[in-house]
Amino acid sequence: MINVLNAREMEDLFSRLRKDYETFGAVEENGEVVFDKISRFSEVSEKKSRYAPKEFLISRNENVLSTPDTTRKAVFGIKSCDLKGFYIMDKQILGKDPFYTAKRNNTLFVNFVCTEQCAGGFCSTFGGPLLEEYQIQVVRDGENYYVLSSDEFSKYLDGFKEADLSRVDEMMSKFKEMSPPLNVEGIENRIKWNSILWKNFASECISCGACNYSCPTCYCFDLYDRDDERLREWDSCILGGFTSTSAGNVRNSLDERLRQRFYHKFVYYKKSRGEYLCTGCNRCVDDCPVEIDIKEVITHDYQSE
Amino acid sequence: MITRVNEYVPNYTEVTESRKETRDVFTIATREKNAGIPGQFFMLSLPGVGEAPISVASGTGRNMEFTIRSIGKVTSKLENEKKIGIRGPYGNGWPWEEYDEILAIAGGIGIPPIRSLIQVIADKGEADKLEVLYGAKLPSDIVYRNEIDDWKRKIRFLLTVDNGDSTWNGRTGFVTSLIRESTVSRNAAAFVIGPPLMMKNSVLELVANGFSEDRIFLSLERRMECGIGVCGHCNLGEFYVCEDGPIFNYSKVKTQPELFL
Repeated sequence: MINVLNAREMEDLFSRLRKDYETFGAVEENGEVVFDKISRFSEVSEKKSRYAPKEFLISRNENVLSTPDTTRKAVFGIKSCDLKGFYIMDKQILGKDPFYTAKRNNTLFVNFVCTEQCAGGFCSTFGGPLLEEYQIQVVRDGENYYVLSSDEFSKYLDGFKEADLSRVDEMMSKFKEMSPPLNVEGIENRIKWNSILWKNFASECISCGACNYSCPTCYCFDLYDRDDERLREWDSCILGGFTSTSAGNVRNSLDERLRQRFYHKFVYYKKSRGEYLCTGCNRCVDDCPVEIDIKEVITHDYQSE
Repeated sequence: MITRVNEYVPNYTEVTESRKETRDVFTIATREKNAGIPGQFFMLSLPGVGEAPISVASGTGRNMEFTIRSIGKVTSKLENEKKIGIRGPYGNGWPWEEYDEILAIAGGIGIPPIRSLIQVIADKGEADKLEVLYGAKLPSDIVYRNEIDDWKRKIRFLLTVDNGDSTWNGRTGFVTSLIRESTVSRNAAAFVIGPPLMMKNSVLELVANGFSEDRIFLSLERRMECGIGVCGHCNLGEFYVCEDGPIFNYSKVKTQPELFL
């Protein structure tokens, strides 16, 4: 269903949701956009948050021997690229990880669709910014908020003015015109195991793992014991210990680990789950201290190597 | 029936016996019955220390046993614990029921899942379809020393060591050298488990001896933390060893550059 609401009506929608959910949103705090508890729709920032709000579903650090959190939360202002990350990782971890699953099933994401490309972003490459899968999706056009709701959530839009997609389609066409997709199709076949790219990246990379932490699709984690807790902590495939065992290390060198990261994103996940493990958010590029650009993996001319 | 809070929470079980196999390998037995099949693994844990993926060494329905090399943070402490955490079984098993003849090749500490297989096949009265080749580094590294004579009465079992010593009057040489002595037909399935180089050479030797690639199965080892396909550490290309393996048909993974690492 699609409705069109004004700012006052968005507050009404917010109040309806607030009856059923604890409400969170992207807000500006000390000059940064972060996610926090909110009590009014007007508090929500439309800016891209400093970090992807991955923590709503995968805690940075939690005791996996505890009981999964089933608090019902509604999160306003998550960007389409960040939300899409959850839909993609669902294909590997939903229904398997009890913590992710409990949170995923109890969290409502109200995503904001960008109408202008953010600096460096390339979400149109992966079908963005309007999502095909969503719960409640908002596209703002000046004073008008176009609200798309999936069947499960359309009850919250009862009574608001119905609309059609024509204006949204128009805005999305313009978006894609201004920011055309990169040619990612078939990258899983073009990419080369022995490409010079991996060594080039390795000569710059300082193994900080920021690309993994900032990524809305990176789901890997480490488990370790501390006293009577067994803690899950976000892990990074760039770090040397990621594959080390008592028998040795499958990926001893940094170029092998960088290649693994990009093969996971553009080859392995495509083969195993049918999707690229990237949403074009550009966060890994923004946060990389040595300016390694994932877009180069897509656009590189492998054939001439 | 205990309802578990979540998949990560282990059941704690009493260790009823711990026996030394070699200087750094031991077997522990628990009170629980093995709900797994040969080739599957469990996550064993000690509170405050951590978890480790360990293949089950006993047959389905028997008391759970694990044969462990004392080498890592967790495995080096499991030998003398009275109580351990267990969750599983995870992964797939040897597809032994699908084939009329099986040649199992184990190197080093790869033997426990083959012991589980021997027990299950013997329990089902089908021992004559199985032949086992087992290679250890030194005579003192031979695991299940007290059980091998019994196995030899049930199945064809060939044993070799890489390097013999004054006490040794059996075969010497790599386990791969026994492949040409095997008496199974070339239509048999081959189940291979051991160090990467041993598996690689076994595959080469099997193929050279006329075994077909799509009947060769490898049990792979990788770093595993969750056992349920979510932590991301154990991938081999597009597969997670914990959920798609640990046993893979060689023909499905032979082009993976990281296969024998």
